[in-house]
Amino acid sequence: MQNTVACYKWVADEADIRVHPDLSVDLSRAAGRISEYDKHAIELAVQLAGNSGGQAVGLTFGAEPVRKSLKDALSRGLDEALWIKAPEQATVDAVVTARALAAGVKSLDGVGVIVCAEGSGDSYARQTAPRLAALLGLPVVTSVCEATFVDGVLRATRRLEDSLETVAVALPVVVAVLPQINRPAIPGLKAVMAAGRKPVTEKTAEELGVDLAPKSEITSMKGFAQARKNVLVESVADLVAALKKEGIV
Amino acid sequence: MTGIFVYSDQVSLACELAGFGKSAGAETHVVTTDEAAATELKSCGADVVHVLRGGDNPPPEAFAGAIAELLKGAAAELFLVGATVRGRELAASVAGLLDWGMASDVSGLSYSGGTLAIERLVYGGAVVQRETLPAPAVATVPAGLCEPANGSATVEIADVVPDSRVQVVGTEPIVRQGTSLAEAERIVSVGMGFNQREDLSLAEDLAAALGAEVGCSRGVAEEREWLPADRYIGISGLSVKPQLYLAVGLSGQVQHVVGIRETKVVVAVNKDEKAPIFKVCDYGIVGDLYTVLPQLTQAFN
Ligand SMILES: Cc1cc2nc3c(=O)[nH]c(=O)nc-3n(C[C@H](O)[C@H](O)[C@H](O)COP(=O)(O)OP(=O)(O)OC[C@H]3O[C@@H](n4cnc5c(N)ncnc54)[C@H](O)[C@@H]3O)c2cc1C
Repeated sequence: MQNTVACYKWVADEADIRVHPDLSVDLSRAAGRISEYDKHAIELAVQLAGNSGGQAVGLTFGAEPVRKSLKDALSRGLDEALWIKAPEQATVDAVVTARALAAGVKSLDGVGVIVCAEGSGDSYARQTAPRLAALLGLPVVTSVCEATFVDGVLRATRRLEDSLETVAVALPVVVAVLPQINRPAIPGLKAVMAAGRKPVTEKTAEELGVDLAPKSEITSMKGFAQARKNVLVESVADLVAALKKEGIV
Repeated sequence: MTGIFVYSDQVSLACELAGFGKSAGAETHVVTTDEAAATELKSCGADVVHVLRGGDNPPPEAFAGAIAELLKGAAAELFLVGATVRGRELAASVAGLLDWGMASDVSGLSYSGGTLAIERLVYGGAVVQRETLPAPAVATVPAGLCEPANGSATVEIADVVPDSRVQVVGTEPIVRQGTSLAEAERIVSVGMGFNQREDLSLAEDLAAALGAEVGCSRGVAEEREWLPADRYIGISGLSVKPQLYLAVGLSGQVQHVVGIRETKVVVAVNKDEKAPIFKVCDYGIVGDLYTVLPQLTQAFN
């Protein structure tokens, strides 16, 4: 029996980000959601735990708004959730996140596989899994597009730039998965109802002794400006004429 | 602290990073786990090439612990790593082992007075974020940002014990059909606006008339599986830089269009005049692809 952990992040929905004409960025109206990539991590953790008769635990780190994610996460098949609470004012980076997640994993028993997504929907820094593994003293496998485990050994296929590499590693292990790994099911009504009754543990970062001092500082955020002509043409003939003028055709 | 250390599993990228170290005026060290690459790495601006060897031909990631030791022992100020799949894992492992800050996939970087200043894209490419990190720090850097330099380095070989916990049991090349999209001059890109797989022939006909390759959005490749995964463009897929990018039945969400920024001319065909693609295109036609595409194909034939 192996328990699994799925790490997930509550992120601002980038579709709601407003970029003003002066390129300043307004995140205040962005609704939160579980990072899309992390839904794949949750799905894999649930599947691997199911295959070995273990429990799948959702692990997340963040301030109060993260509370809204718990039911959604649990409706995706996780057995329980562990929320490491960060103070509202904390500005964290990947260093702090990995410390908090590592403390969370250490508080759990019998963990065989810790699944992260390759990156998060907001920052996509792809640091969390290797950092977490380093802090836990575990091996890591990133860029995973296929994973199974048999007899305490995880076999994973990694997508490199121009090849697929298959690796074998004894548990426990940290993996970072690509979206190709699976197709997360949309939770049904029954799963959503059941989620409300599943156990959630809340611990503060302070309680777990997590050092909240980040190493990097964000100095500015600006909307990305793409200078395009934005000309709407009336007909195919007009389009062809415009492309000829550009010297493209 | 002394010295900028660089690593990439791609020799040309390692040379670019060594060039950055030299231009920053620092003592520059190139780390490699491939003894054969040392000859080339010796002459691209670094002062020292460190060859780490050991084990039975392990992957570079297995040297993360040994590299962390090397950086610590030398009191390195920066560790710059080529942003490849292997490089990213190795870099973040080293950062984790040393408890250093790290900036991933930077789109710009500078280093002075012990501070690394970087720029990178976040929120699917909608936002450019600037960050500062005090040395020592790690960054992953894609190809093309830094210039290689000239020089002659001394080579130091060290026998180390790589991590043997992750064993490579097989590798299989990814076979790509057609010209790689990354190099294509013209791309016709299809989105979820196509009703059924057979209808992609409309795009293929247009592509043939234009001498273009066919690309797509993620949904077309991953949800519908109409095209292989190496054909989709965007933050989780490919970045392309054609002369002409013709987006058909594709809404133009930021995660997709971040991959077409280097395009010369973007054209959109979409039946919804409010589709975001019209804000990031040069020329747009509001119309049904099922009528517009055949007309376009005819015009170019
Ligand atoms: C974390 C994350 C990462 C992502 N990474 C990527 C990525 O790398 N690449 C990527 O592509 N996407 C990515 N996505 C998904 C992305 O957000 C969009 O959902 C996706 O690009 C939309 O694909 P689409 O434009 O084909 O489909 P849709 O958004 O469904 O758009 C279809 C368009 O077709 C138009 N249309 C319909 N019928 C017709 C017709 N008959 N004639 C003309 N027009 C018609 C519609 O008006 C609509 O605009 C990512 C999403 C997330 C959350």
